[in-house]
Amino acid sequence: MRGVIIRKERVNDFLNALRAGYLLYAPVRTQAGPVFAPVNGATEWPWPAGNTLKSAKEVFLPQTETLFTYRTAPDGVQIEEARVEGQRVLLGVRPCDARSLTMLDKVFAGEGVRDPYYTARREKTVVLGLACNEPCATCFCTSLGGSPFGTDGCDLLWVDLGDRCLVRVVTEKGKALVEGRPEFEPAGDADLAAAQRLEEGALGRMGTVAVQGVKEKLDRLFADPLWDRVYEKCLGCGTCTYLCPTCHCFDLTDEVVDGVGIRLRTWDACMYPLFTLHASGHNPRPTPKERFRQRIMHKFKYFVDNFRETACVGCGRCIRYCPVNIDIRSVLAEISAR
Amino acid sequence: MGTTEKIREIAAGLLRDGKVDVVIGYGPGTLPLRSTPLFARTVEEAERLIWDATCGNNLAVYLPGRKDRVGIVVKGCDSRAVVQLIHENQIAREQVFLIGVPCAGIVDRRQVEAAVEREIKLAREEGPELVVEGDGWSRRFHKEEVLYGACRTCRHNNPVLYDALAAEPLPSRNGGPTLVEVWEKKPAEERRNFILSEMARCIRCYACRNACPLCYCTECFVDCSTPRWLGRATDAGENLFFQIGRVFHVAGRCVACGACGRACPMDLKLGLLLGKMNKDVLELFGHEAGLNPEVPPALNAFRPDDPETFLLGK
Amino acid sequence: MKNPYLPLPMRIEKITVETEDKSLRTFSLSFLNKADAEEFGFLPGQFAEVHVFGQGEAPFGIASSPLLKDRVEFTVNRIPGGIVTTALHNAREGDIVGLRGPLGNGYPVQEFEGKDVVIIGGGFAFTTLRSLTWYILANRDRFGKLTVLYGAREPGLLLYKDELAAWQKRDDLELILTVDRGREGWQGKVGVVPAILKEVAPSSANAYAVVCGPPVMIRFTLPVLQELGFPPERVIMSLEMRMKCGLGMCGRCNIGHKYVCKDGPVFTLAELNELPAEY
Repeated sequence: MRGVIIRKERVNDFLNALRAGYLLYAPVRTQAGPVFAPVNGATEWPWPAGNTLKSAKEVFLPQTETLFTYRTAPDGVQIEEARVEGQRVLLGVRPCDARSLTMLDKVFAGEGVRDPYYTARREKTVVLGLACNEPCATCFCTSLGGSPFGTDGCDLLWVDLGDRCLVRVVTEKGKALVEGRPEFEPAGDADLAAAQRLEEGALGRMGTVAVQGVKEKLDRLFADPLWDRVYEKCLGCGTCTYLCPTCHCFDLTDEVVDGVGIRLRTWDACMYPLFTLHASGHNPRPTPKERFRQRIMHKFKYFVDNFRETACVGCGRCIRYCPVNIDIRSVLAEISAR
Repeated sequence: MGTTEKIREIAAGLLRDGKVDVVIGYGPGTLPLRSTPLFARTVEEAERLIWDATCGNNLAVYLPGRKDRVGIVVKGCDSRAVVQLIHENQIAREQVFLIGVPCAGIVDRRQVEAAVEREIKLAREEGPELVVEGDGWSRRFHKEEVLYGACRTCRHNNPVLYDALAAEPLPSRNGGPTLVEVWEKKPAEERRNFILSEMARCIRCYACRNACPLCYCTECFVDCSTPRWLGRATDAGENLFFQIGRVFHVAGRCVACGACGRACPMDLKLGLLLGKMNKDVLELFGHEAGLNPEVPPALNAFRPDDPETFLLGK
Repeated sequence: MKNPYLPLPMRIEKITVETEDKSLRTFSLSFLNKADAEEFGFLPGQFAEVHVFGQGEAPFGIASSPLLKDRVEFTVNRIPGGIVTTALHNAREGDIVGLRGPLGNGYPVQEFEGKDVVIIGGGFAFTTLRSLTWYILANRDRFGKLTVLYGAREPGLLLYKDELAAWQKRDDLELILTVDRGREGWQGKVGVVPAILKEVAPSSANAYAVVCGPPVMIRFTLPVLQELGFPPERVIMSLEMRMKCGLGMCGRCNIGHKYVCKDGPVFTLAELNELPAEY
């Protein structure tokens, strides 16, 4: 995986050339922070420092999505499936978000029934990851099997070397994007050494969080009194869930607009009281305590039980944006101490 | 004695004497420029309480529905929320011991972050100044320059109801046009486009609603399915319905604490919408929420001299 | 790839009001597309999402026999404030609805082969047990003794009354009906299901118990089964949860790491004992 080099003066040419065959998504700066949005080629290069506000999951699992529309008639119903069209390139996605896609794949594109909408988007998207030369203080991907220079979920990995960028080819799909393109030349030993130094520097900056052994603790902590206190500050909003790259819960509802029925999929969160409310009025998770416990259990135990992976990539968004500063690192430390 | 020490002393006393079951205050956050709500149930836990210019959460949000006796740290705006909750029968006066803190304003961390444009690793207050530091850099601000908009023009920074005061009352602020007054003068189309562009960014996480002490309905109108007032789609139209609905539901009850805007991960300018609503309520009904537990909210009471311009044109 | 979110178009052929208070109706649906009818097959215990176009979807256990080829039946309890159940109860024969299924894991009928089966049902949870009973009756020589104990609060609330009468006459199953409150003309037993179970005392040797009913019935039935010697691996239960996708993706219906829609809704008591008590 030696990779190729592109000089920064040529990046615009490359991105603009991609437009011919692909719809491009990249981090776009907004007032509240960068978010992924369709871009017109090089308009957002260089990509912002730090991570995006909302994760890359919305490029594959949109917050609001029409699954199909329908018209009923006395003798039947006409159903029209929504189709995912067009090839796309997702640019500038950090390794944590790229890795989260491999986890969402297990849910939506696993061995059993597959979600055709998510799967189509994944198949039609080339993922160009962006290595983190300067991880943030809230990042802890390495504690969860990730890395600021990780390539899980990436087809290519872009490393900013200063005046030029190293692009590591990870998959055949990624290779097709750069192969034969005039903007690229083979990477030399000096380039690789520079990338190596940056990677070591980034790894040296990473904080560590005690995740080791948390799953085994949670196996026996369901009824533990720790849950009586740790949830108290939680407002029960959906901020952590919606910004989280690996949270994937959703709702299915019907709307009717101008006589056309729409089957809608929208993000949902286990933090809301209605999430598990039965029509009879019974709620297996009646208070914020049970709902908070569910979120932690799902990410750090149930997902491991089902898929042998922790459903957290250490991106730190939940830490930064929680309105009451609930810090998952503190919660994990409390669990580890039981 | 500093405010932090005074709060700790009062809280420890309450817990030691068994006067309350819990003291809800602020503790140090895990990030620069953040504090966090702290639930102290022992004298040792009360030792971790703090007070500074990052204490932005409105802790009254934890009151509705409580059955225990609570000590609670309240700024001016928070105390108004408690008054409002007492009036609305969501908490009993006897249940709460209010530790009042005169507030000089809360620092807007997003303003600071935008100004330095780099990752802040450390922050500390030095008197009227704020020092933030990152890798190899340091910068100083006057706290006054980086306060939240609502704090800059706050007229109720001293608690209106309290059982103990943790510091001397501060002079109230009265000067300057508010952000709402500035916005009111802009052309209608500009205001409309701004609101719609803000609404398009809303992700319906309901952090605003859940951070607000006055949004305590067990079934919020957004969750009602029969009838279904609004759908789940996150487009500008549906989002606008939610936000405007919430603004009108808290009309006459909002205490302008700014917790909603601070909670919003998308940094929507909710303070503008609610500030405008509060201004209209004051002008139309001469009422401000949370100042007097005997006075009902403007939209929950009928007076024969209520303005009827929408009906009779006068 | 087959899209698991698309409903099959169905016609409501027949609506049967099952109970005197009209709170329960059985909907017999036919497939609009012949190809769908040919492809559709299910095990007793599986469920499907019924889609009322314009309103929403809700999961219902399939109540008809799997051997009934061109019909799928559901018995629906009208929940006050429930969008789908209310819409269904307002529907008429001939109306078009959607069907997504079969979903879930079904009763482990292969394990029942050669064994006795004790079916214990309460109230309107009897729906999938009816499917199971028909399945066993249709493949009778594969199974041992079949005991069906079915109870309701009062006679008017029993489902499938005509079928129950017909089953009563058969000699290849023992049907015991009971009501909490009897009334004039009632010929069956009077007593709550757990009490009658204790009285009937079916043998647990080489037998499976399949239990479906309201939580209060379950709570008192399980100890009786334990006393009778049914080990947790041979007590089969079907759970209900709020569901949406039915595919194990929307994250809503889990108990511990198991999704009731995908890993269930049928679980053995042994499996449930391993899961957190969050249901």
